[in-house]
Amino acid sequence: MSAMTETLEASAETVPMSRARARRTDMRSRGEPALWSLGGALAIGILMILGFLVLVLSNGIATFVPKPLRVVTQTDGKVTAGEPFRSEVFKPVPQDVAQLSPEWQEKIKAANGYVDRTLYRLGNFDIYGEDFRWVPEFLVAKVEQPKNLLFIERSEWGPFIGTVKTFKVDGVDQAFSGLDDAKFTQVHEQSRERAQAIRKVERSDIGKVNRALDDGRLALRKIELKDGKDSAAYRAADTRFAAQNVELQRQYQALTEQVQKLREANAKNTLTLVEVGGREKTIDFSGLVRAYAANDLSLGQKIGVYFSRWAEFLVDEPREANTEGGVFPAIFGTAAMTLLMVLVVAPFGVITALYLREYAQQGRLVSFVRISVNNLAGVPSIVYGVFGLGFFAYVVGGSIDSVFFPERLPNPTFGTGGLLWSALTLALLTVPVVIVATEEALAAVPRSMREGSLACGASKWQTIKYIVLPRAMPGVMTGIILAMARGAGEVAPLMLVGVVKLAPQLPVDGTFPFVHLERSFMHLGFHIFDVGFQSRNAEAGKPMVFVTTVLLIALVAIVNATAIVVRSRLKKRFAGSQF
Amino acid sequence: MLKKLAGAVAAAGAFAAFGAYALDVDASLSEYKKQAGVSGSLNSVGSDTLNNVMALWQEGFGKEYPSVSISIEGKGSGTAPPALISGTSQFGPMSRTMSAGEIDDFEKKYGYKPTALRVAVDALAVYVNKDNPVKCLSLVQLDAIFSKNRKRGGKADVITWGQVGVTGELASKPISMYGRNSASGTYGYFKEVAMEGGDYKDSVKEQPGSSAVVQGIASDKGAIGYSGVGFKTADVRFVPVSARDDGKCFEPSSDNAYAGDYPITRFLYVYVNAKPGSKLEPLRGEFVKYLLSKQGQQAVIKDGFFPIPSAVASQDLKLVGLQ
Repeated sequence: MSAMTETLEASAETVPMSRARARRTDMRSRGEPALWSLGGALAIGILMILGFLVLVLSNGIATFVPKPLRVVTQTDGKVTAGEPFRSEVFKPVPQDVAQLSPEWQEKIKAANGYVDRTLYRLGNFDIYGEDFRWVPEFLVAKVEQPKNLLFIERSEWGPFIGTVKTFKVDGVDQAFSGLDDAKFTQVHEQSRERAQAIRKVERSDIGKVNRALDDGRLALRKIELKDGKDSAAYRAADTRFAAQNVELQRQYQALTEQVQKLREANAKNTLTLVEVGGREKTIDFSGLVRAYAANDLSLGQKIGVYFSRWAEFLVDEPREANTEGGVFPAIFGTAAMTLLMVLVVAPFGVITALYLREYAQQGRLVSFVRISVNNLAGVPSIVYGVFGLGFFAYVVGGSIDSVFFPERLPNPTFGTGGLLWSALTLALLTVPVVIVATEEALAAVPRSMREGSLACGASKWQTIKYIVLPRAMPGVMTGIILAMARGAGEVAPLMLVGVVKLAPQLPVDGTFPFVHLERSFMHLGFHIFDVGFQSRNAEAGKPMVFVTTVLLIALVAIVNATAIVVRSRLKKRFAGSQF
Repeated sequence: MLKKLAGAVAAAGAFAAFGAYALDVDASLSEYKKQAGVSGSLNSVGSDTLNNVMALWQEGFGKEYPSVSISIEGKGSGTAPPALISGTSQFGPMSRTMSAGEIDDFEKKYGYKPTALRVAVDALAVYVNKDNPVKCLSLVQLDAIFSKNRKRGGKADVITWGQVGVTGELASKPISMYGRNSASGTYGYFKEVAMEGGDYKDSVKEQPGSSAVVQGIASDKGAIGYSGVGFKTADVRFVPVSARDDGKCFEPSSDNAYAGDYPITRFLYVYVNAKPGSKLEPLRGEFVKYLLSKQGQQAVIKDGFFPIPSAVASQDLKLVGLQ
């Protein structure tokens, strides 16, 4: 009996334990812990990506929304007008607190010594000498949002916050009634058009004359280098050049006069701005980019300002050392460089992979090459940059210069960073990706298909061309997509081989030979770095960093989406023809 | 150098009128006038401090000559001499003077010395976080904060804010130093002038750009760092600096810089490869003229630095045969 109770008790103890063990092994055998950790890892990954996207998008998309303006009168009589930028709590030093009114002292004490302050974006840098100002809450006497206060974007010196006092049309004073004043808008449009006309004449017409002069000078220098200064050929060319020079100078004079006339007309249309402190500033109408009464905007007007800012950002050139204006040259440069890179990397990568997989004798040497290619993918990108600069720009470019452009030396043509060298450097950087992806795709083509083709009497090359390669194409495309995404987002090596802060000329334009591979260019990735870390006022640059990041991400997404569409088309085409 | 600067300003003699804010260029600087037939491409490699001013000059010059393309690289003054010597750049903006070794290298290749043009005045500012109440720092104190070997004779290593007279919460906090990397001319200048050639402590956080220094200080309450006066944001403040421990403290303002009172005032330079006694060819010559013109110096103000007096401009234009 007692023995029975003992065993019963023992079994009563062991039953739940074994049941628990059974449950554990059960879970493990079903692979649940692995499943959960995989799911968890995925969730964390997605969360991080989403968090990043939300951060960038929310900051980037909100940047161009017109914000209200506030006028803060301080207890010490100072007046600050500006866009509230951000707020934070801080702990003022005890000496400052001691000078405050008893109510404020109490308030600060109650909040453990903390108090709010707000950062205002002031504008008017030419008058104040500062762009931002912190205003602690205890200094605020009065906050207003006057309806007539304007946010005026200028082409120079950044925004102006204040009001329009008067404006002049053809030198005659006019009374200012509001921004929708018919005369005001008309004069503004006229002046902007004239400014554009000036730009056009200066850019294309005067540019042409200058280029012709320069070409003449270079042609002369070329003859001098070839035949010497005393030769008959040089003397003939010299007289020809002199005659041509006179004609060009005449054209130049005529064009300058034309520009001068336009300038004078524009200089007669001015507007006088006045800031809250009463100090005035007179600017040309042509220097006025956009003005709006920030506290008196309807929803429609707000949307109008928002999109016109986006439009400016996408199609205009940068101003004021890249802190204002648009980023069109950077978008163009990024796209041009990436496309050129693909043109180089795709054939090279595919040919290499074809040889390695289809022709080369599989052995030690080939495995060694394969390992080397894989290792190349792990080399830091800046090393490629140094190689690109040293080999492409200095060695190859330097030789091209000394053979083809000796008349331009010592100014380098190809012997310095440029679009071509950047594309080649990035092609080197991304070629392992394409090789590996193509090899995998080739290996995945079934042996039976090759054998079938060969059995029908096709040669090896015919088999590759008509059977293997088409079926491997989607895989090859994947490799190219990855390479493009990597290439478009890469900045470090480009800083050495051709990306610059500001490139006034696009690498593709209307002058012969239309595509200028030697030109340095702008790049969105570098633009982000430049605005974020190298601009005069880091605070003012921050919003632009987010906007540019949004744009870069969008550009990469568009390029990738296009490639993915192409790939799925290819896949569909071959899915149908399989047996 | 300070005396030279003060002398030049006295010679120009027109600076008494400078207000606290609205800085203006010397009225006797010449207006830039456009010439015909200027076309081609220029490269500039060098200082990060001058990077934005270079970009503004490029923009302004590009407006006058749309067919001139100028590309600008600004990774530090140390990158200017090699690029100038190898001929990859025509302009070498630098925030310090070239060292004897760099000048020698240049001379070995060309047979003459490079020409330094003074293009702007910078009061090398010492920044702290905006909430830091420190009133003033002497050069000896700065040296004791940044330097390993305290060549200026500071008695003790300074590691907390309390040691330089800060009271309250910050007093016990360690000083966190921000500086530039060794390619930078600002790094070299601060080392030579403020630290008398001593070595930086290993704990100084080296930043890749002037703006990065200021951003670092903006987010670090116990921070101190040096950078060009043009890089100030609302999140940092200038610390007035005195030359001697018992001396008067001066803000890095234009007046103090011109008068030579602010002890770490410097010129910013653009180096060119110009044969002495000859005139620069039109392309480079016009750019140099532009830098030293009214418009060029407006850009200097726009970027937060101080313009040069016209006496300095005409001296430098003479150096390259343009006046």
